Amino acid sequence: MSVATPYVEPAHHEHHELPYSEQLRNNRLGLWLFFTSEAFMFIGLLSSRFYLWGNTRPDLDQTLGLIVTSVLLVSSFFMNRAETAIAHDDRPEFLRSLLITAALGIAFLVGVVGFEWQGHIGPSDGAYGAVLFGMTGMHALHVVSGVIFILIVWNNGRKGSFSAERHWGVEACAIWWHYVDLVWVFFYPALYLMGHVVHG
Amino acid sequence: MILSLGLVRGVIGMIIGAILGMAVTMLIRIGMGLAAWGMEPVSVVGALVGSIGFLLGVGVLTDWIKWMQGKPTPMRHGPPEGKPAWTRYFGTDYNHKVIGIQYTVTGIALLFVAGTLALTFRLELVQPELQYIDTNTFNTFVGAHGIVMIGAILMGVGGLMNYLVPLMIGASDMAFPRLNAFGYWVAVPGALLIVTGIFVGGWDTGWTGYPPLSARAPLGVQMFFLGVYLIGLSSIVGSVNLLTTVTRMRTPGMSLFRMPIFVWAAVATSIIQLTATQLIGLSFLMVLIQRLLGMGFFDPNLTEHAIELNSPPGNVILFQHLFWFYSHPAVYVFILPGLGIISELLPVFCRKPLFGYKWIALSSITIALVGFLVWAHHMFAAGMEDYLRVPFMFATLLVAVPTGVKFFSWTGTLWRGKITLETPMLFVLGSISVFLIGGLTGPPNGTVSTDLFLHDTYWIVGHFHATMFGGFFFPFIAAVYYWFPKVTGRMYDERLGKIHFWISVPGFWVQSLTQAYIGLHGMRRRIADYDPALGIQTGHVLITIAGFAIGISMIIFVYNLVVSARRGEVAVANPWGSRSPEFQIPSPIPEHSYAQPFVVVGEPYDYALPGSTYVNMNPAGLAAGGGGGGGGGGGK
Amino acid sequence: MEEKKKAAYRVGVIVLVVLFVLTIGEYFVAQIPGGVISVLFIIAIAKSWAIMKYFMHITSLWSEEGGH
Repeated sequence: MSVATPYVEPAHHEHHELPYSEQLRNNRLGLWLFFTSEAFMFIGLLSSRFYLWGNTRPDLDQTLGLIVTSVLLVSSFFMNRAETAIAHDDRPEFLRSLLITAALGIAFLVGVVGFEWQGHIGPSDGAYGAVLFGMTGMHALHVVSGVIFILIVWNNGRKGSFSAERHWGVEACAIWWHYVDLVWVFFYPALYLMGHVVHG
Repeated sequence: MILSLGLVRGVIGMIIGAILGMAVTMLIRIGMGLAAWGMEPVSVVGALVGSIGFLLGVGVLTDWIKWMQGKPTPMRHGPPEGKPAWTRYFGTDYNHKVIGIQYTVTGIALLFVAGTLALTFRLELVQPELQYIDTNTFNTFVGAHGIVMIGAILMGVGGLMNYLVPLMIGASDMAFPRLNAFGYWVAVPGALLIVTGIFVGGWDTGWTGYPPLSARAPLGVQMFFLGVYLIGLSSIVGSVNLLTTVTRMRTPGMSLFRMPIFVWAAVATSIIQLTATQLIGLSFLMVLIQRLLGMGFFDPNLTEHAIELNSPPGNVILFQHLFWFYSHPAVYVFILPGLGIISELLPVFCRKPLFGYKWIALSSITIALVGFLVWAHHMFAAGMEDYLRVPFMFATLLVAVPTGVKFFSWTGTLWRGKITLETPMLFVLGSISVFLIGGLTGPPNGTVSTDLFLHDTYWIVGHFHATMFGGFFFPFIAAVYYWFPKVTGRMYDERLGKIHFWISVPGFWVQSLTQAYIGLHGMRRRIADYDPALGIQTGHVLITIAGFAIGISMIIFVYNLVVSARRGEVAVANPWGSRSPEFQIPSPIPEHSYAQPFVVVGEPYDYALPGSTYVNMNPAGLAAGGGGGGGGGGGK
Repeated sequence: MEEKKKAAYRVGVIVLVVLFVLTIGEYFVAQIPGGVISVLFIIAIAKSWAIMKYFMHITSLWSEEGGH
């Protein structure tokens, strides 16, 4: 090929930065793809539960299960409220809801780590212990990451970051938190409700 | 200053992090009333914190930390200020071309590490009985050869995809440049951990790390698990990036069926990497915490308390299901980009349209999807549930259909083409021949009745080395030669390239066919010794000689690349007469690739069709003389 | 603006109530002896659908307007 296309060095390097709306859509897709990826890991844990436990389950504290599940649901509600608030430029409500979300997240962790993990089943108690601690542990790790994320966003929001037009950081934090809730929507019945307790 | 290199800072950060992590773990252990030194927990936490230290040191987390503090993070472009341009390859850089080269060079370096391990244990196998290394070292080397090769291949795949895909679809860069840099740099401590594992006891489990053996193997296996986990993370974020880029950032006119065929392969690969990789991570993580915390996922023994609770026991077969759910599709991660390279290069060197473009594109996706349904064919002899055998056999043999489509298309493209035999084309043809060996040795393994006899023999070794060499290794070499002038602006030495070819490909034929042959005669995999009465010693000698020949050819290859990059003949913009857009801009490719977005106006592979054009490089008509996007008939 | 905001908050409340009712429903379905795993899965999928649609705005992935 003898004809070389003339190359014109662009005048402004800025034209290589994507416009905000384009980048926003990229970000959303990227985060959802990551959710898809994570879903496979959680499905792997769920499959392990059914492979090892079959149609049985350990005798867990039902009240505790219902309480932590409700706490996480309510936290998701406040997260949604925070995102809605910043989308309508209501900063006080935004910051308040974020803090409530984080507090509920910590309450959830206290319920799982402080109470469920101190129950009569330990991590080395056969497949019951391994899967129970594996699933709640992996989920708790995600809750911790979510709480940290919320606190970072809260701190930045307090200093005036984010606006009704530009708040990808809040949106990412919010859907990450909802995703953590979504995982629990499947984990709660799998651990507490499905199958029957075998009495010796 | 040597400290200005990100890599050096990373290694220092890793050492500091490891020491910190170990110290903190020991303090916690003292606080819990345990003995301060517990080999496993202290080392594992040390390795984990060390890896974070590496990432901090190399500077790939800096922008994200700034974001957390609410500081502005403008995108950096170009080489680092006040430093020589080459230093950007050793530190955090956001340009996809730099990252692509980082991946590729790391991949080639790891190929040498893994190859050296292989040659070491090949020497041991020249004679029956043990001469040079003991059995534990032999096993560790076999496992390390496997996993380092897998790392090398993943790096090579990452290199090809990162460098080529944005250029081919006309994107200014990947969708998430910072994540892209993170994806590369997180794999480096992973590779370092795996190499460390060899020195802290090694692991005698092979690269598959099956429990119960891996649950009681030496400490090395934990480093191996962590290393694989980090490399897996690299695959996942890389595929998030690639899929977003291809979905959202194609240039105007580039509809899905006008993308270069390699992009299709890259998409199919990324779908697998995105999803399946989580499962190998999970399975290794489960063994890791079983060892650390006694959580018996794969332990069939029950404690007394567990019996009181009526708990079912753990099950080792579960590990194999989780593990192969990734590790089988993983081989498609390795071969799909390679097969994409073959399809990409053939029309250029045949001066003919690619035969059945849509079929090839869809066959890549089909292989990826069917690949999810075949994992248990690795477990026919493992004591798996019997009813799973036939469905998995059926699904496995089904993979031959889309693969056959590819062979058919390659033959159709070659048929009556004006073939020229430059080095890249030689390697493409070599790949096809080697992949044919791999393909034909496959169905007997996928069929339950024959697999029960072939399982764990050298037949399998011959089979998958042929698929890896034909499906990834030789296409990768072809790609390096083919895009070398584009990357460096200089031509490689054609004579050395041909020597490389004529040593490595025939060498490989000898190697894989002999492996299959001695496998049929009773040689088992992963075993350091064999009975001379089997009559296979000549075969082992042949394999070892062929292995060394391939090793020497690789040294010639690297010599050729290094010398040509500095002193080679200056390359023209489009040495192969390619229609692909990256060949329509100067060599080496400028920092921002395309001066303006190009527009796709035709089919990508209509070589020799008069008047056809693929891309219009200058749609706005900004400068004179442009517009020629690789016209159809042009010779070279 | 004010109206829109109130409407958006109201959606959140409704979704919360629905999720709550479904969760209580799950709890009672589990008390029925035998053969409830599929029902529990269906309820879980319904809950996750509500979360993805109303909390995670999954439709923003393909809707063309600039989002918010």
